[in-house]
Amino acid sequence: MQKRSYRIVLILSVVLFAFTSQLFATGQTEAGSSDGPEESYMRLAWWGNPVRDEKTIGVANLYMDNNPNVKIETETTGWGGYWDRINTQVASASLPDIMQHDYAYMLQFVQRNILTDLTPYVDSGVIELGKVSETFLSGGRVDGKLYGISLGTNAFSLVYDPTVLAAAGIAEPDSTSWTLKDFEEISMEIYKKTGKQTMPFSTTDPKVFFDNLIRQTGASTYAKDGKSLGFTDTTVLKEFYNMQLRLLEAGVLVAPEIAFVTVTAEEGQLAQGNVWCDYIWSNQLASTQAVAENPLKMVLLPQIENAKRPGTFLKPSMFFSIPASAENPDEAARFLNFFLNDGAANDILAAERGVPIPSDVREALKASASDVNKVVFDYIGLVADNSSAIDPPDPKASGEFLKLFRDTTQEVLMGLISVDQGVEKIMKDGNAILAK
Amino acid sequence: MTSLTKDSPGKDLGKSLSERKALFRENLAGYAFIAPWLIGFFAFSIIPILTSLYYSFTSYDILGSPVLNGVDNFKNMVQDKLFWKSLAVTFNYAFISVPLRLLFAFFVALMFNRDVKGIRLYQMVYYIPSIVGGSIAVAVMWRRLFMADGAVNSVINLLFGLDVSTSWIGKPETALWTLILLATWQFGSSMLIFLAGLKQIPHFYYEAADIDGANRFRKFVSITFPHLTPVIFFNLIMQIIAGFTVFTQAFVVSGGSGDPLNSTLVYALYLYQRAFKYYEMGYSSAMAWVLVLIVGLFTAIVFKSSSSWVYYESKEGN
Repeated sequence: MQKRSYRIVLILSVVLFAFTSQLFATGQTEAGSSDGPEESYMRLAWWGNPVRDEKTIGVANLYMDNNPNVKIETETTGWGGYWDRINTQVASASLPDIMQHDYAYMLQFVQRNILTDLTPYVDSGVIELGKVSETFLSGGRVDGKLYGISLGTNAFSLVYDPTVLAAAGIAEPDSTSWTLKDFEEISMEIYKKTGKQTMPFSTTDPKVFFDNLIRQTGASTYAKDGKSLGFTDTTVLKEFYNMQLRLLEAGVLVAPEIAFVTVTAEEGQLAQGNVWCDYIWSNQLASTQAVAENPLKMVLLPQIENAKRPGTFLKPSMFFSIPASAENPDEAARFLNFFLNDGAANDILAAERGVPIPSDVREALKASASDVNKVVFDYIGLVADNSSAIDPPDPKASGEFLKLFRDTTQEVLMGLISVDQGVEKIMKDGNAILAK
Repeated sequence: MTSLTKDSPGKDLGKSLSERKALFRENLAGYAFIAPWLIGFFAFSIIPILTSLYYSFTSYDILGSPVLNGVDNFKNMVQDKLFWKSLAVTFNYAFISVPLRLLFAFFVALMFNRDVKGIRLYQMVYYIPSIVGGSIAVAVMWRRLFMADGAVNSVINLLFGLDVSTSWIGKPETALWTLILLATWQFGSSMLIFLAGLKQIPHFYYEAADIDGANRFRKFVSITFPHLTPVIFFNLIMQIIAGFTVFTQAFVVSGGSGDPLNSTLVYALYLYQRAFKYYEMGYSSAMAWVLVLIVGLFTAIVFKSSSSWVYYESKEGN
């Protein structure tokens, strides 16, 4: 009796096993044998948003249509999840064939030999960079080798609703000449006449706004080696806080309790029509505009007194890199070239990742660009003439420093500590964090 | 197997070789059946747990390989202001939300413990909040409710003719309370366990009490509550563990930041930030083990205290 039941169990498990392995087998043949022996398979990963996902998958499909022997599998997540995933893949040696990369993390990856040098592909013409000026490539270079190709150029900006200024009877700011003082006066005036408030300086990451101001003095937030702060004169930092406190006291500034809450674009103050301006990276204009009531405009951040150089810089918004572990680096390089230079591909992408770096693609896109993209293209053109060189990638401890800066900014604006205490905290604790 | 039997015939307790073989084969089938679970348990629980114990004595940023650094992680923790802050936030959260949630679950379960038409539907409806858990929908809804111009303020202003414009979710003093409310609102699973416990209480106790002329309060104190103490004990342990390890709700409501000003930076969220924002896997593993000790300590205290307030029917009988 027992023997029989044992046999039944055995047979059952064998059947089940056979059944499942059969399933796996069919699954594999279906995935693997679409087009003869020259099949090549490639994984492509990026971070993004639904709009970017749709465009990128569109380009991948287009490439597969043109090259029926290539199969591209796409992996996409939001920014936060992306790096969790990539780091896990580094640890488990299963990186994709092409990965989107960021300026901030590039150096760490290169130092650990995780990325392939793309120079041979450029030399052999697989990746064509004839129409790309060196200024756009330098962000992807480490020690003369090319580890990432910029997918678009980006710059920080102040975005505003011109109809509010018109209603208040105020002239629109002039990018090349307006000062922080002008900004303060305009904000006060607008509040008086229209009741529209002003956003505190870049609440998601206040360091970005401050960085622009400190760069105008000729210094930068981090020292060259990233082991300490790059400035000792705290005048700008103090004014950064004092101006916001003056505006807050006058009721002009959105209260920090509201402004620092992480919200979706639709819930944002600009989308709600509560404020006249916000501070964004230029490639965020499309999503900002999508939820805004009126057509928006962009200007450079205002100048500090006695500015020594422009604070704004051109930033490669993101790169495509090929990991050294890629199974199919040649195909990956061909796809990268297609992504970068192909007209049809760029029509689909529509500069969503930032203004494209090959000049012919840029010109072609500009002609057919949407109104939003025209604003972005013009702004990037303006920045190209009014910018200074980008700082080295953020040091490793920058994540912790950004948190300190953001927390301290909130404490100062909420009146929990004085400006002097806040400044001291950033200088003392900030240096300690970076020195670790 | 056979050699073992040969070597120790004295221990064979009268079982023949073939019988042993059959037994082994039978066990084998058993192991085969639990193999999927066993593999999962080892691959996804035991091995990661032991690995994290090792990592907690290393400095490890994922990209490189772990470097042993002794007890440095634990030493750094003592100096880390945010570590203490997150611990304080978590204690606040656990000590307020656990009793609140249990009380709420208990009273709703009492309400539902009667034969009313459509009671099943109510039970289901009240369980829904626990299913939505820490979804993005909840995060958005919570913001909409507790923002400066959110629904809560609108209702208050409408009912009392006030002009409240506090951003409950943006003020460091009140933000944690919105999370505590969220926890209280998601009382479903505790409620179901209470309800099951209530249904288990034999009816004749109440009938006997009725004959003795006991009032409702008396019946509750002398019959319902003592019978429920094992269930309360179980719920308390589960909720304490859940309270100390809370993550999802704090993560989605604050967008992963612990905003405002770290007032919702619960321990697990800070651990996550250390691990996946600063890539300090060693430090965060060490933090995880400190949390294990803390949760273990509180569970042990509750277990110890249980002998004085938890009644088991079998003991009562003796």
